[in-house]
Amino acid sequence: MILVNYLAAFFLITLGLYCIVTKHDLLKSVIGLSIMDYGVNLLIITVGFNPGGTAPIFSFGELNPSSFFVDPIPQALTLTSIVIGACVTAMSLSLVIRLREMYGTTDTREIRRLRG
Amino acid sequence: MTHFPILAIMAYFLGAFLIVIFGRNRGVRNTLGFLATACPLVLMIALVKPVILSGQTIAYWMGGREPAGGYAIGIALEVDALGLFFGLLIATAVFVAMLYSFSYMSHDDNEPQYYTLFLMLCGGVMGLVLSGDLFNMFIMIEILTFAAVALTAFRNTATGALEAAFKYLVVGSIGSSCILAGTIMLYAQAHTLNFAQLAAFLPGHLNRATVIAYALLFIGFCTKAFLVPFHPLAADAHGAAPAPVSVLISGVLTKSGLYGIIRLSYILFRTMNLGTVQFWLVFLGSVSMFVCVTMALAQHDFKRLLAFHSISQIGYVLTAAGLATALGVSSGLYHAMNHTLFKGLLFLCAGAVLHETGTTDLDRLGGLSKKMPQTTVLFLIGAFSISGVPPFNGFASKWLIYQATYQKAVESGNIGFLFATITALVTSTMTLASFVKVTQSVFFGQLPKEYENVKEVSLGMRLAMGILALLCILTGLFPGFVTTYLTEPAARAALGANSYINAMMGSGYAESFGLADTLPVRFVSAGVWSPISWLCVLMIMLLGVCIVAVASRYDQVSALAASEAVPAPAARYGSGSAAEGKYELFYGGEEAVYSQVGGEDLFWGFKHNWRGYFRFMHELHSGIVNDYALWAVVALALAMLYAMVIL
Repeated sequence: MILVNYLAAFFLITLGLYCIVTKHDLLKSVIGLSIMDYGVNLLIITVGFNPGGTAPIFSFGELNPSSFFVDPIPQALTLTSIVIGACVTAMSLSLVIRLREMYGTTDTREIRRLRG
Repeated sequence: MTHFPILAIMAYFLGAFLIVIFGRNRGVRNTLGFLATACPLVLMIALVKPVILSGQTIAYWMGGREPAGGYAIGIALEVDALGLFFGLLIATAVFVAMLYSFSYMSHDDNEPQYYTLFLMLCGGVMGLVLSGDLFNMFIMIEILTFAAVALTAFRNTATGALEAAFKYLVVGSIGSSCILAGTIMLYAQAHTLNFAQLAAFLPGHLNRATVIAYALLFIGFCTKAFLVPFHPLAADAHGAAPAPVSVLISGVLTKSGLYGIIRLSYILFRTMNLGTVQFWLVFLGSVSMFVCVTMALAQHDFKRLLAFHSISQIGYVLTAAGLATALGVSSGLYHAMNHTLFKGLLFLCAGAVLHETGTTDLDRLGGLSKKMPQTTVLFLIGAFSISGVPPFNGFASKWLIYQATYQKAVESGNIGFLFATITALVTSTMTLASFVKVTQSVFFGQLPKEYENVKEVSLGMRLAMGILALLCILTGLFPGFVTTYLTEPAARAALGANSYINAMMGSGYAESFGLADTLPVRFVSAGVWSPISWLCVLMIMLLGVCIVAVASRYDQVSALAASEAVPAPAARYGSGSAAEGKYELFYGGEEAVYSQVGGEDLFWGFKHNWRGYFRFMHELHSGIVNDYALWAVVALALAMLYAMVIL
């Protein structure tokens, strides 16, 4: 079960990279970045998963050595990572809008004034 | 004193947020910006005494959550000599760039936003080098990448600014995702994110997963340092960004990547005693050096050219740092410091030229030394430094790098390191050649008519450039002082991981994992030179040049009077374009159609012989974002494969 998660995570990362490398459209590049980000998020949450563990919410009295719960740190990391992913998407989309205004196209093969 | 590191980081972020709120008024904004950059500089200098002179490592646990039972549960900041060395560099560069910004950016709109992003970038880098926690480092990397992308696109009407920002965002995000994936793979293995605990755990646990994580983190930091498959992004970003931001990107942001690579390889994984990893770093550094300097030779834009040189010099640092000897690391760090100083100076000079003339096109500029004499002198200091002319600082560090690579070749008996020495020498020559061309095209030669009303830049900008020029000269004149008090303690910190672990986690922690300091710390300097006598030689030569110049002026005046009757060369041949008149010096004024050589450049012969290479490189740097992303993916795949095979 957990293996499927790992496979899916790496599949998503590879798919995102494939999308960025092969698609000649700015919007599709942004979508590729997001897919890659989701893959990494899935990887993080899978690392912290314990089959059968409870939610990591305890008061000081309840916590004892026999408590079995999922690792809370990766969950915190995922939240941060999701926020950052949203920022990447927002910022790249705003750049795409301005690029479209300036170049009149979203084809990456035509947006290459800086080269050589 | 333990609170100094967090205060230094907070000063930048606090400044950024206060400028958002109170930044409408120019006076308030400039005061806030000045204070926000001056405070961290003072705090970093205050940390020199305990950290560098007494050799302490300052550990700061956020919220007072100290490690319990051998597990680091809180987020840590740590300052050892290595971190402080980079912190000092960053604080200095940022302070100077802020001084320069006050008058440079005064004609732009959205100034408060500029300062906010500027300070966010500084805070991100400072947080990165002082952080003792891998995930915290990732957050800081994201903050600085965002700020750098936004600043690249800040003058969004300029040619290519948006384009450069988008390319940087895409490839930079791939790098950041690599760092995050590497971080989480290490967490899965070690169940900690703290550097000290990871450093204790990892050397004994080099398995497939940790090795892949090493490759991922390494490539992630390479994107931040713009090393060779990522160098086009640096060129694009520098060309479009305002000059003070170029100083930050080249002087500060690339350093964060280098710091990451050094921290990762020397302290976290301790893989530097493996010959294969040394080869990896030295090879990557040498390739970066050579490829970028040849790319720079082919450029026609001032800032783009400087950007390629910047990455070329980063190649020197990586080569030296990859030697894994005390002299190698120390000389690499010395060059990293010099790179910040002279590259900052050169970018600020390019900014001054742009500010006054409105262009950075080398073919259109010329003769500015008559109008901007002080900028010319400052630029020459920077150009001498980067080309490694004694007694400036570039010579001191390059000399040490040649020695270090040669010494490594002799000690290890591996002929490959000799190639690094040779590449470094050749690159240095080509750097000098390139700067001869730039100096000639921008500051000497004929002054185009359109720039007759150009004035010297304002005092604030000259002051900022002057500070960097002074530092360039001082660090070149007193190399003994720099190595003893700055680079050698930092190199010792990089090579002595155990003391770092023990300072963070309690003494005896590293030994409980059976770790010994594997790399011996020995500082042997083979050659001796005296910078002061070189300075005297330079002064005498300058005096000679001045005497000749003054003496020949009388001849020139009479020659001018005689030539009044003869029409000017351009009029004589009826060639209208400015570029032709500009380069006629190189082919004797003969019209290009009748000339056997394509004299459009000082180094036409060299370029002609290498035309195949230059054409290949030009076509390779296609400017399509997919290609650059492909290079990133290929680099990542190669790094993972190499790591799997060798470790």
